Amino acid sequence: MTNTLHRQGSEEDLKGDYVIFVSLARDITREGSAPKIHEFLRICQRHGPINIGSSKWGSVLQEDVEFGDLIANLKDGATSGAVFTDLDTLKAVIAELVEADLGISINVSGLLDGVQECCHAGGIERHSVEQSLGFWGASDLLPERDVLEINTLCGHGLVSFNLIRKMMDQVKMRRLTPAEAARTLGRCCECAVFNTSRAERLLEKVLLEP
Amino acid sequence: MEINESKCVGCGNCHAVCPMGAISLNADGVSVVDQDECVECSTCHRVLRDEGYAASLVGAVRRVLSAFRLQYLAPVDVCPTGALEPPELEYPRSLRADFSDPTVVHKGTGVGGRGTEEIKTNDVTGRLGRGEAGIVVELGRPGVGAHFRDVEAVAMALAPLGAEFEPFNPVTQLMEDTGTGKMRGEILDEKVLSAIIEAKTSLERIPEFLSALKEAQGEIDTVFSVGVASRCLPDGSVPHQRWVEEAGYTLSPNGKTNLGLGRPLFQEANP
Repeated sequence: MTNTLHRQGSEEDLKGDYVIFVSLARDITREGSAPKIHEFLRICQRHGPINIGSSKWGSVLQEDVEFGDLIANLKDGATSGAVFTDLDTLKAVIAELVEADLGISINVSGLLDGVQECCHAGGIERHSVEQSLGFWGASDLLPERDVLEINTLCGHGLVSFNLIRKMMDQVKMRRLTPAEAARTLGRCCECAVFNTSRAERLLEKVLLEP
Repeated sequence: MEINESKCVGCGNCHAVCPMGAISLNADGVSVVDQDECVECSTCHRVLRDEGYAASLVGAVRRVLSAFRLQYLAPVDVCPTGALEPPELEYPRSLRADFSDPTVVHKGTGVGGRGTEEIKTNDVTGRLGRGEAGIVVELGRPGVGAHFRDVEAVAMALAPLGAEFEPFNPVTQLMEDTGTGKMRGEILDEKVLSAIIEAKTSLERIPEFLSALKEAQGEIDTVFSVGVASRCLPDGSVPHQRWVEEAGYTLSPNGKTNLGLGRPLFQEANP
């Protein structure tokens, strides 16, 4: 899952975009991991994420997914995550996770310096890092900048370029508010890593266009 | 994905939702799926709520409204008649769903989505040790999709460098020969939303790998995303950064950080 690695945006935009998630290793941490994943999600939930969920059961942005049901349904090995929009909250989440000592692999996607600051505040040193070198190949197939920024908020690319453009049109025609349009887009992202707050800001920009 | 022609009322909502743009209206006003382009991600089926109306009722209401020069604007996230029907898939077409639908778990790795662990579990697996670099190439990302023939072209560009393809990776498991990067012949025309090649090498060989990827760009009809990973040094510094930057490439300021909270922590033989 290079899922959340290639999120696009200026450094200023990325300051409001941190995804924290668990990963389980076959034959090492996967077996018996369900209660640990539940606790991870409960800790995240206490800090008010703008999105939370699991690839197996979807995100709370989806109308049929409630946090309680999500916890009840998650089994061993379920990749799960949450999205936060500021570093102070992330810092508090990481500190609580260090304290909880769940023993499962936890990763954060976001500005590396910010995440390292959180690690130090929690009394740990980061273990491994992965970075993006961007998009290569037939780049003429890529869409306009704002569409690409929203598309990359879903790690699997399930938020289609055409739906993003349609939502931009709907906002421009004032049939949907930017928040409603962002939520509709977020429902396409099954793994709960879509940042509705960032999408909303990008959609607000179309209201300023002539 | 298939669309039940007797149910579809041609509202077009599924056209925009499809990440591959594979759905369009035919001459009869019914939506149809281009099966070559469809990657079986099931996004349309998951996202569009089935309103459960009968097609005949929707048609009648439309005709009445039309008589008064009125039009009903349906919500954008519904399929009024539940016309989208996921089919039973057989190999090799089933690979499309394996790689494109995040709710499907890869049989070979037990991981959903693209089925890879990469550095996400490196704290307990030690997949990448000190002095090593992970090269991650995601074909088709973002939002364009890729055929396995494109995946093969890139894998075959890396293989001559002695790329150590990650065995617990679904793409590696579809290779006929990991020494050459050649994929199974019957899958080459299958299209997926994206697929990830994971290779390991030493830090100092990063420039060679990036150079090979640069050359491979011209041989494929899609985009790919490139990532580089490594095990941090005891002071938290990131060893791959020096090698990537010296080779003239720019790394993103954001990325993925494994916090090292997994237990038991992998113990390297020569730390």
